[in-house]
Amino acid sequence: MMSSLRTQGQFALRLSAVAAGGTLLLSGCSVANSESAGGATAASSDTIRVVLQQEPPTLEPCEANLTSTGVVDRSTITEPLIERNPTSGELEPKLATEWESKDNKAWTLTLREGVKFHDGSDFTAEDAAATIERAVNSKLGCNVEGYVFGDQDLDVKAVNDTTLQVTAQEADPILPLRLSFLEVVPAETSDTEKVREPIGTGPYQLEQWDAGQKITLARFDGYWGEKPAYAKAEYQWRAESSVRAAMITSGEADIATGLSPEDNIGDLGVSYPNNETVALRMHSDTAPFNDIRIRQAVNYAIDKEGIVASLYGGRDKVAAQLVPSGVVGHNESLQAWPFDLEKAKQLVAEAKADGVDTSAQIDMVVRSAQFPKIEELGQVLQEQLTQAGLNVKLQMLETSQHLTYQVRPFAKSDGALMLMTQHGNQAGDAAFTVDQYMRTDGAQSAFGTPELDALIKKADAATGEDRQKAFEEVFSYQNDKVVQFAHIAHQTGMIGKAAGVNYQPNSSTGDELRLAEMTPAS
Amino acid sequence: MLTYLRKRILSSALPLVVVIVGVFALARLTGNPATLYLPLNATEQMRADFTARMGLDQPLLVQMADYFGGVLRLDFGESLRTGESAAAMALRAFPATLQLAATTMVLAIILAVIVGCWAALKPNGVADRISSFVSMAAASIPDFWLAIVGIWIFAITLGWLPTSGVNGSEAWVLPIATLLLRPFGVLVQIVRGAMVSALSEPYIKLARSKGAGDVRIVTHHALRNAAAPALTVAGDLTVGLVNGAVVVETIFGWPGIGKLMIDSILQRDFAVLQAAVLLTAVAIFVLNILIDLGYALLDARVRPATVKA
Repeated sequence: MMSSLRTQGQFALRLSAVAAGGTLLLSGCSVANSESAGGATAASSDTIRVVLQQEPPTLEPCEANLTSTGVVDRSTITEPLIERNPTSGELEPKLATEWESKDNKAWTLTLREGVKFHDGSDFTAEDAAATIERAVNSKLGCNVEGYVFGDQDLDVKAVNDTTLQVTAQEADPILPLRLSFLEVVPAETSDTEKVREPIGTGPYQLEQWDAGQKITLARFDGYWGEKPAYAKAEYQWRAESSVRAAMITSGEADIATGLSPEDNIGDLGVSYPNNETVALRMHSDTAPFNDIRIRQAVNYAIDKEGIVASLYGGRDKVAAQLVPSGVVGHNESLQAWPFDLEKAKQLVAEAKADGVDTSAQIDMVVRSAQFPKIEELGQVLQEQLTQAGLNVKLQMLETSQHLTYQVRPFAKSDGALMLMTQHGNQAGDAAFTVDQYMRTDGAQSAFGTPELDALIKKADAATGEDRQKAFEEVFSYQNDKVVQFAHIAHQTGMIGKAAGVNYQPNSSTGDELRLAEMTPAS
Repeated sequence: MLTYLRKRILSSALPLVVVIVGVFALARLTGNPATLYLPLNATEQMRADFTARMGLDQPLLVQMADYFGGVLRLDFGESLRTGESAAAMALRAFPATLQLAATTMVLAIILAVIVGCWAALKPNGVADRISSFVSMAAASIPDFWLAIVGIWIFAITLGWLPTSGVNGSEAWVLPIATLLLRPFGVLVQIVRGAMVSALSEPYIKLARSKGAGDVRIVTHHALRNAAAPALTVAGDLTVGLVNGAVVVETIFGWPGIGKLMIDSILQRDFAVLQAAVLLTAVAIFVLNILIDLGYALLDARVRPATVKA
């Protein structure tokens, strides 16, 4: 008995020792290398807490056209010379107060005085010039360079402290719009290496980046503009949208990006038109798409109203072109193709009678997880096109593989290629769409016609009302004579917003989340 | 013992080289990352510039020689995505995974030993049946489902725990509970089985006849003999966790190596992938040596002869 008692005591002792070991492991309770151990930040009225879909790979300002970087940088840490109002589409002054050109080639910009960088130095034309040199003319390989300027270099000159001269190689009526993509950095910023932690002129400055965990920003006291409401901002990231939504419901975050209605957060979810358009692109190099009647049949066979109503809760809008209203060049008079299965079948039958191999396999290439319910959308489309008498095979691919079919040179597929594309025109001018998607040699264009190319060239060079009209013509010509696309819908995005915050998302929210526009609800 | 260690290290060098070469070659089979990193309207010239800047235009053998040279200098190159040193990224993520895995396994082993022993004392008794049901369920529940349900119950409905993140001890509860269940379920079954057979051995009868109580029999006699199979399985389970608990890391926003590896595969971030895989491979190799040493401690028969010297 005695011995048994003793052993029991020993056993308990050992157990507690092992348990202690366990708690020791637990006791750190902050992930290794985390400098900011301690409890989760409590809700506090002077900190705005944002949860993003992913950690920004970098905060390098010359990559801010990438959503994951720009969402933190743009108009928060860094600012452009000129800014596009996402609602009106108008260009508005930011670090430049005026801009003008007599020939659309040489542009003169007047810069704002009294602007300071986060390091305390003054912003001058030298900085603006260096920013353009660095992003557009250097060997840095900035993403914004290819995205906005292509191969074109710009000639830049700081005339005096507040005057900047920018000259394009050819007349470029939308140069100011292109410049709105460049986030201004101090002239001392390295032009041989990218910077992960930028210095800007924005209302917030980077305070700390705990890699893998969170980014903290602090209000910049020397900001030239209106002082933002929140003293601090904290970004975290979660890959799962249901977790981001849960963080809003549980009060762990104030703003969550990239939600969808399936996340079920009721009134805390705020939808907004996000400028993204979904369409199918048809490659005309092989049967059956080498016959325009088949491409028309595809358009008739898709029940766009039904798709929007059943898959997207009626929030998205049926599309008739690649850009939504609000983008310069959007053709208001274009009507979406009506859903008419009989007409589709008839067109397929006519083509077949003329010797087109309508039974040829069509590979519909779709990117997994590109947007909510894309898998279901792919299946619905496959079914509807099969009804029309076409032989469609659905292929769900990951991003990198999908890209090999999306941009030139296109990867080879077994059958005729049909690619689902999601296009967002964040610049607000149709040139950014049609140059890529409709020109014969456009990076994302399967084919074109010389007539369409001529129309595009004319539109690219036009200004003002002529420009609007010229692009309208481009869109209607594609629908009548080319039919490379079957447009499906203009999409809507959704953010989660805690009741304690005032903020109205707009079409640019996904790319540029302006913290300065957020205020506490009182 | 030193001889034994030296032999083990030498025999593991070859698999490590195979891992390095394999990851290098497989990663490059997935295609040129230029399309992912450049804007979609990039010109041919820009793609060529990018490929040259990243050294991806060199013949594969030259790239591999560069890579091996780098590995020897502990230089794994830079991440295409973030521009940071690949080694730094892997070394930052790995401790997070290791902490999670170690805590989970320690708790799983303690709980499994207690429950397994308790169940084995009376095979087919009430305790055995309950533990059998619980452990089977625990080993079969998918972790992504468990994680989401856990968040829903404990973070949203009850509000006891944070949904995710790494700040504060509360944040550790859900990820560990999610990860713990499967190893716990498997280990309970193993411990119970091994204990049932150990408890029916003649030496246990002898111990009982000498008047030893249940606790002493379990802890002093049976458990020691039942430990070896449990250690084998626990070792395998730990290796699985050290590889990165991708699902749990993704859902709970845990900055571990599993998520880093998946991201670097999807983003064709070769340098980071190579660094992360090599680091994990080395860790698993060390872990296996520790498990072997554990055997030697438990069972004199597998101890190398030199130990006595």
